[in-house]
Amino acid sequence: MVSLIVRRFFQLILLLIGISFLVFMSMHIAPGDPASIIGGPTASASDLEAIRESLGLNEPVLVQYLDYLSGVLHGDLGYSFQTNQSVADAIVTRFPNTLNLAIASMIVAIIIGVTAGIISAVKQNSWFDVSSTTFALAGISIPNFWLGTMLILLFSVTLQWLPVGGLNAPFYTLEGIKQLILPAITLGTGSAAMIARMSRSAMLEVIRADYIRTAKAKGVRQRGLIWIHALRNAMIPVITVIGVNFGALLGGTIITEQVFAINGVGRLMIDAIAARDFPVVQATVLLVAALFVLVNLIVDIIYALIDPRISYD
Amino acid sequence: MRKKIMFYLLVFLLAFAAGCSSSSDSDSAGASNVPQELTYATTSDAVGLSPIDTNDSVSSNVIAQVYETLFTRDPETMEIEPLLAESYETPDENTWEIKLKEGIKFQDGTDFNAEAVKYTFDQFMDENRAAPRASLLAPVESVEIKDEYTVVIKTSEPYGPLLAALSHTNASIVSPTADKEGDINSEPVGTGPFAFEEWAEGDHITLKKNEDYWQGEPSLETVTLKVVPEYSTAVSMLETGEVQFLDKIPAEHLSRIESMSDVEVQTKPGTPVYYLGFNMEKEPFNNPEFRKAVAYAVDRQAYVDQLNGLGVKNDSIIGPKVFGYDESAKDAGYPYDVEKAKQIIEENGFASQKVTLLASNSGSYMKMAEIVQSQLTEVGIDAEIESMEWGTFLDTTSEGNFEMTFMGWTNSTADGSELLYPNLHSDNIGSSNRMRYSNKEFDALVDESRTLVDQEARQKKLQEANKIAMEDAVWVPMNHDVVSAAYDKSVKGLELDPTGEWKLYNVTRE
Repeated sequence: MVSLIVRRFFQLILLLIGISFLVFMSMHIAPGDPASIIGGPTASASDLEAIRESLGLNEPVLVQYLDYLSGVLHGDLGYSFQTNQSVADAIVTRFPNTLNLAIASMIVAIIIGVTAGIISAVKQNSWFDVSSTTFALAGISIPNFWLGTMLILLFSVTLQWLPVGGLNAPFYTLEGIKQLILPAITLGTGSAAMIARMSRSAMLEVIRADYIRTAKAKGVRQRGLIWIHALRNAMIPVITVIGVNFGALLGGTIITEQVFAINGVGRLMIDAIAARDFPVVQATVLLVAALFVLVNLIVDIIYALIDPRISYD
Repeated sequence: MRKKIMFYLLVFLLAFAAGCSSSSDSDSAGASNVPQELTYATTSDAVGLSPIDTNDSVSSNVIAQVYETLFTRDPETMEIEPLLAESYETPDENTWEIKLKEGIKFQDGTDFNAEAVKYTFDQFMDENRAAPRASLLAPVESVEIKDEYTVVIKTSEPYGPLLAALSHTNASIVSPTADKEGDINSEPVGTGPFAFEEWAEGDHITLKKNEDYWQGEPSLETVTLKVVPEYSTAVSMLETGEVQFLDKIPAEHLSRIESMSDVEVQTKPGTPVYYLGFNMEKEPFNNPEFRKAVAYAVDRQAYVDQLNGLGVKNDSIIGPKVFGYDESAKDAGYPYDVEKAKQIIEENGFASQKVTLLASNSGSYMKMAEIVQSQLTEVGIDAEIESMEWGTFLDTTSEGNFEMTFMGWTNSTADGSELLYPNLHSDNIGSSNRMRYSNKEFDALVDESRTLVDQEARQKKLQEANKIAMEDAVWVPMNHDVVSAAYDKSVKGLELDPTGEWKLYNVTRE
């Protein structure tokens, strides 16, 4: 296990250096000049030149990259072109919001997904199975943008049960939970649908297995059979889906953050891309990549805990 | 372990349910004691809070409450009046002697005086500071202190729009102490009616009343600018009372807002202008006949009708709320006339000419492009739309890689020189003169409008220059803006400026 973690850690570092190089180069190659965005359409040629010079954009690209890399290796993520604030500070203030949102969405997704998947499998081809499969398809297909707006119109504007947007109360307070409900449902539906499909098919496979038939023959009651014997074995592919989805949720909060006015890393990234704020784009992409790798590592560790047959040593 | 997890899950679910069932009863507050608080929703965060170091409208919204300028434009008469200045004289055409009001203090206790003005403008013009709007004071040679409350501004050549430039939000006076000892871009200090309290970047900015404000304290205790990137979310927040004030209403949201019973909508003819422009260095767009044909072919009224009253048709490039406007220019452009357009096209062999309309995917530009595309097709010009994200668009147009495009100009000084010079003067080809228009006669008139100090003479020069650019059809104005705001009915005293800016000093909630 320890060797797995050490190995993964070194892989992560190499991966991040590779990603940073690709992102850096693609931002510089892509059209759009940070100076002309800062200066706006009104800026004169000399204004633009002065801005470029002050941002260090007149250096050769490779020199800029090496400067950046040596900064990052010394723990300095640089300063935003737009606001001149420390990039690390910008991320530290926003990351908790994104993490809260992703965790809350995952909770919603697991509760809905696993429950629906199991019931569908156990009562295969029942009306519940058919409607939950239909909902799962809809859940994957509905764009978050539309779902979020509809939820706001129903629960916030018409019924006035929940606030429209913002996420500034701590998540453990009532206000914080109220602020999280609609965004979590919006972001969680897609994952819920995927988890439901995976739980259903994994469960169907397991309950047809010989040992379940044997257990049944020995007189184990239905409830115990499903929850104790079948579920644990069906969970491995489900956990993979949950892990991959959680990684994707952390990097995929952009639209939900946008619709619900949540000040998170996703919005920081999209604003930075629009403003060609290179240091912020770099840092947010690196963060999302690192988190994705980390979540996958945790999933691998959980495998070993659930299934004693899996060992990394 | 499992029981523990189940327990937490249950608690969480209960909390969910409790959250859902306790419906809000906040709207039962009595009308007599409405809190003197105002929350404004903005679609993007401020870039910074220093007038010297920023150049965007969101930052200006905050800056205009915290800082003040030497001069200001009266939103009704559009005349320039002193604000922090007391009076001014022009002993010769390169010298402006400005007397300052006495007894005013910055929010940090620093005295407002000639030293503060000199410090601010010196910083503004300092190349190392790279102020994005440094060009506003480009002709200024020096700012000298004559006595504690008099500054003398010397220009290298006569500079007519100086007062308009000094009334620009970016020319606000900053506290020298605060700028030297701290970072006014994150902790601003000015002389204005509201003082800075907090900036949670990406989320909100809070201002509190300046109790020692020199014109008497404002009614509002706190002002919050909340970042709500999605306009439809902001409209929902206005409906539920989470915010009380929005501006720059997109035409497609207007009818929903107007249907809300507790919301007031204010509209007013404004200074921004939106136009269709031609790349004057490419064939056949450099041919005046081609541009005329397009101008005849485009039905601007049909476009304006789609704006639900948030725009007006006016052929003049200098708009009705901008200094230098001439009423006779209103209908002096090439009117919508399909037959005439077809005739010119036939006579000049433009038939089945392929053109690309470049449009940024922000604002109303795509709508403009679609309407113009269909109208050009009608007269036999084969138009294709190419859409681009804003950052790429700015670069592509300043490099001249386009044929026809759509742009706008906010005109935040409301002075015609500040419209014609950056956009159409040949000095600025390669940067802000994106159409690459070059006409010596026009250039000379604009130069004069900038160098004359006599405001009446300036007006005449601007009117003449405007006529030339209209005749050349370098821009086809699609619409002149109607600036707009929507606010809760409890908000009183809010007055929009024709530039779309606003000040909250006189606002109360009842």
